[in-house]
Amino acid sequence: MDPKILKYFLLVHDNQDSMLEKATAILTEMRSTFGANNCRLLCINSSADCVEEHQENPWASYNNSASNNKQFGCFLNVDDIGELRNTMHDLSSKHIIPHMELKIRVLNQQVSATRKGFRNQIKNLWWRKGKEDAPENPNGPMYTFSSTESQIRVLGDYAFMLRDYELALSNYRLISTDYKLDKAWKHYAGVQEMMGLAYFMLDQSRKDAEYCMENAFTTYLKIGSSRNATRCGIWWAEMLKARDQFKDAAGVYFRISGEEPLHSAVMLEQASYCFLLSTPTMLRKYGFHLVLSGDLYKKCDQIKHAIRTYKSALSVFKGSAWNHIRDHVHFHIGKWYAFLGMFDEAIKHVLEVLACGHQSKATQELFLRDFFQIIQETGKTFEVLTLQLPMINFPSTKVVFEDHRTYASPAASSVRESLWQSLEEDMVPALSVMKTNWLESQSKMLPRKYKESNVCVAGEPIKVDVSFRNPLQIPISISNVSLVCKHSTEYHEAESDANGSLMDHQSDEELRTVSMSGDFSLDTSLFTLSEVDILMQGGETILVQLTVTPRVEGTLKVVGVRWKLSGSVVGIYNFSSDIIRKGVAKGKRKPKQSVKDNLQFLVIKSLPRLEGVIHNFPRTVYAGDLRRLTLELRNPSKISVKNLKMRISHPRFLNIADKEVMNLEFPNCLRKQTNSSPSGMQVDSAKARNSIFVFPKTTSISCETPLKWPLWLRAAAPGSISLYITIYYEMEDESPVITYRTLRMHYNLEVLPSLEVSFQASPCPSRSQEFLVRMDVINRTSSESFHVHQVSCVGDQWELALLQPLDTVFPLEFLTAGQALSCFLKLKNCRKRGTTEDNISSPATSGKADVRLVGSDSSGLFDTSTSPFNLFHHHERLHQERQNQGYGSTVDFIVISESRSDSDASGVPKTIEVFSHHTCHFRIGSKSPIWWLMDGPRTVRHDFSTAFCEINLRMIVYNSTEYVVSVRINTLDSTPVINSVNVAASVSSNEVGWYDMSHLSEIKVTSDARGTRVGKAPQPENVSPFIWSGSSSTQLNLGPLSSAEVPLQICMFSPGTYDLSNYSLHWNLVSSGVGGDDENGSNVSSGTCLGDSYHITVLQKE
Amino acid sequence: MASTACFMIVSKNDIPIYEAEVGTVPKKEDAAHQHQFILHAALDIVQDMAWTTSAMFLKAIDRFNDLVVSVYVTAGHTRLMLLHDSRNDDGIKSFFQEVHELYIKTILNPLYLPGSRITSSHFDTKVRALARKYL
Repeated sequence: MDPKILKYFLLVHDNQDSMLEKATAILTEMRSTFGANNCRLLCINSSADCVEEHQENPWASYNNSASNNKQFGCFLNVDDIGELRNTMHDLSSKHIIPHMELKIRVLNQQVSATRKGFRNQIKNLWWRKGKEDAPENPNGPMYTFSSTESQIRVLGDYAFMLRDYELALSNYRLISTDYKLDKAWKHYAGVQEMMGLAYFMLDQSRKDAEYCMENAFTTYLKIGSSRNATRCGIWWAEMLKARDQFKDAAGVYFRISGEEPLHSAVMLEQASYCFLLSTPTMLRKYGFHLVLSGDLYKKCDQIKHAIRTYKSALSVFKGSAWNHIRDHVHFHIGKWYAFLGMFDEAIKHVLEVLACGHQSKATQELFLRDFFQIIQETGKTFEVLTLQLPMINFPSTKVVFEDHRTYASPAASSVRESLWQSLEEDMVPALSVMKTNWLESQSKMLPRKYKESNVCVAGEPIKVDVSFRNPLQIPISISNVSLVCKHSTEYHEAESDANGSLMDHQSDEELRTVSMSGDFSLDTSLFTLSEVDILMQGGETILVQLTVTPRVEGTLKVVGVRWKLSGSVVGIYNFSSDIIRKGVAKGKRKPKQSVKDNLQFLVIKSLPRLEGVIHNFPRTVYAGDLRRLTLELRNPSKISVKNLKMRISHPRFLNIADKEVMNLEFPNCLRKQTNSSPSGMQVDSAKARNSIFVFPKTTSISCETPLKWPLWLRAAAPGSISLYITIYYEMEDESPVITYRTLRMHYNLEVLPSLEVSFQASPCPSRSQEFLVRMDVINRTSSESFHVHQVSCVGDQWELALLQPLDTVFPLEFLTAGQALSCFLKLKNCRKRGTTEDNISSPATSGKADVRLVGSDSSGLFDTSTSPFNLFHHHERLHQERQNQGYGSTVDFIVISESRSDSDASGVPKTIEVFSHHTCHFRIGSKSPIWWLMDGPRTVRHDFSTAFCEINLRMIVYNSTEYVVSVRINTLDSTPVINSVNVAASVSSNEVGWYDMSHLSEIKVTSDARGTRVGKAPQPENVSPFIWSGSSSTQLNLGPLSSAEVPLQICMFSPGTYDLSNYSLHWNLVSSGVGGDDENGSNVSSGTCLGDSYHITVLQKE
Repeated sequence: MASTACFMIVSKNDIPIYEAEVGTVPKKEDAAHQHQFILHAALDIVQDMAWTTSAMFLKAIDRFNDLVVSVYVTAGHTRLMLLHDSRNDDGIKSFFQEVHELYIKTILNPLYLPGSRITSSHFDTKVRALARKYL
């Protein structure tokens, strides 16, 4: 310590205490003792009674942390303040600075004398070298005040204080090497630090300044003086900050933070602010360092500081996709708030992390446990609007309600609305009829708004399917899941609107109370809610069906869903807020309307609602299975319904039977009755096509008397099929909103393949109206065995007979799985000319059309002319409609098989299942409308020596169509060549200009149906050894279904066998009925047929 | 093989699309968020560095205590980030190159929406195998 410090004595006199005289006396005494120059009197508080008002705190400009709320210096008058200022100025300018200047001068002289100059340098070096061997002092060598090193250091400090940085720097530099050589590390670091500051103040070399600070800092750390290191580091960081090197400053702060947590926390927080200030802003670093510092604050129990830092960090991490970070921050804030007892805030933050599916199971359990702990500590049950556990998948929410559309089963309600609408199209009265008439009172009764909102009936539940998903891996239990609904009995539009808007703007608290009161007051009378308890396993998704049943007329609004998580927290999910936020259109039922309307219902008074069920509807059947089912309709309400109509989507599978069928025994009622009256019932094609079945007028279903009606089911084709049935009915008493209702039923049927039936027919070569039919039956099932019972062909012009008894070909009674059966049948067309009445579709009554394949008697035959065979046959015909090209007649076959269920063991009587297989529009004729037969001798003996041989032939041409056909027979002497252009033109008279090669070739093949005539064209070069004599072309007209004979003559010149195929027949439909029949409209109206091969052998007569 | 290594792919919108702990040390509970914090903070450095160099591989750009962050920036500014405590620069570089190739194959998948999370288990096993090979 410098013993010769500057001394200055100040006597402060308070004018409030005593008079000035005493003070001047003391001052003279002091002056005599301490010297006249070094003493001074300062008088303060001259003004009396605290009246002096100053504009501002007189020390404000010198003290940057002054608080303005206290009134400073109120006893000082202006003179006092001037006096104070003078005193201080006097002290610094007349005493301190001159003293320092003097000191510098003296020290500088000393230093130059001892250290400056080459001689001194050498001496110093040598002297220090000599000291090297001295024992190492752990604290470095001690320097007394009078030592040269200390003198230089003091000189440097004085110079630094007087802002002579150059001088200061040169001195510091001088001793820093000395200290280094002496290994006086602490002194060295101190000097380095001062050098750094001096460099910084000179602002010449940034690098040097940083180098010095770095040096000082590391040296401090090396000797373990963290206090000095911290000070040095803060200097350094401030230095860097002053130069806008915030990133480096942050690095320095980070280095300062040591072991002690609070110290580190403060430094890390400073570091984070540096990152925030740096350009470009390093927000992520900022957040990270805030979190680090928050952790350290927590470590030393500064929880409020910890929360403060974390909350600042949250501004960076909020909504981040880095989920571990987000969870960490939210969870810790929540935990710390709970620690401080601020549970509301705590819950808000912990809620954010509840749905943490990405975390490990242990973490999820920890989060959940802490959450429930916080909830328990509050001691209340909370209602939370943003509870994410379980998650609700809003787009999959589905509302099912019944207005005029009612559903028999849940499956029916999930069917697309358009499907039902197309099914009900003709049945339901058009909507415009209800609306347009403005005179009608009912339209006035209801505001327009309710036309657009959904309608539901009091007492009938509205079902809402909500899908919950548990995002966690741990099971959670949810109880009391129910809908939140609002019911108002008023019809006033304005009020409900206001209510709705209020709903949207309500804060969380308000909504809590609303929903609570809504539950308790309305639950009893206005509507009832269903409550569900579920336990969700980890990762599970559960579809929960919630229902609300309104009891009273009015409007009902489904607001949201509420549930209780683990019996402690009530979560509420508001549908409408979600709609507004996401704008998800979920209008499943009515896409045109806004979604909000979808959750608003107009409740009308209760109406009858039919319940329908089909008893014993099978899930799986084999193809062809024919069954009788019973439809049962039940009306639980008091009001009866009328005007019942029904429509079935697939009449090919399901059809409506007569009421009488109910009482008959199945399947025996289908068998031919011996004494049956000519049933002759024809399928009303109009009725069948429209397929709306109107129940008799008398049927009205009232309470407790169900209506039973039989239905026929026939599994027409393999595959799965959905059958839709809709039943329309009207109420007895008129309701203003709903005048009719429909009951929609939906059944799924899976049809397995059973028998596969195919036919092949070839015309009898000798007789023109007979055909040989081959029937192939393959059992395609895996286990079932069938009993092929009968084969019938539909239409009374056909006769069917077995070529040989089936027992010889197929001795087994049953066709087991995988087995095939084929048999030959003879089919005869017995229709003669004149029997042209159009009754192809009406099944035969003659009995010759049915053939029993097993057994000999014809008693057990099924009557294919009655319902349901004719009904289903009609639909099969419609279904199997194909492009009707060509003119030969077609025939429809029905194969009926039986299967006896082998249930003998159980004692149940054998039930016979009947299967029918329909093959329609089976073509037996050729493509051309005409038939011909060449008739004549096959072998002729002739003596060629006398003359050439003349043979007379006869051609019988038969017209199988119902139109007049003109036929021209051309005999060709040369090779018959098909003129392809001709054919093309003849094929499509209305498609002139089309010249499609593939089409052409197809026509060639199809016109070649009866043989392979094209392939065996004779060699073109040789002249044929016979000539046609007589006219080369004969033209004739053939009436419908008539035949004609044409004489032909041929001349042979030498013996041999000849093929008389070189003729052709041109046929042309005479346009009597062609244009009128639209079925034949696209048909061929003319064509050419090449001649059949007819071999004739001519021998030389001996 | 490094004792601690956390590999992460960050899309150009700073959203992590793939993450894997590939170190040999059994994973600690609190390590996951710590690694995320470090890598997330390192994005700030990457943001500065990526535009100053033409190299894709940015070696050891950030460190926290004894953990080092190395980054590989693809042309589409997707960042492959590795937090590691080993000094095997060559291995890390080859690791990054191979993973980059895998990543390109992933985005060639027409069903993969670029910038969405990579959920392919094939990718995962491949990356882990590469980590065993190089790190």
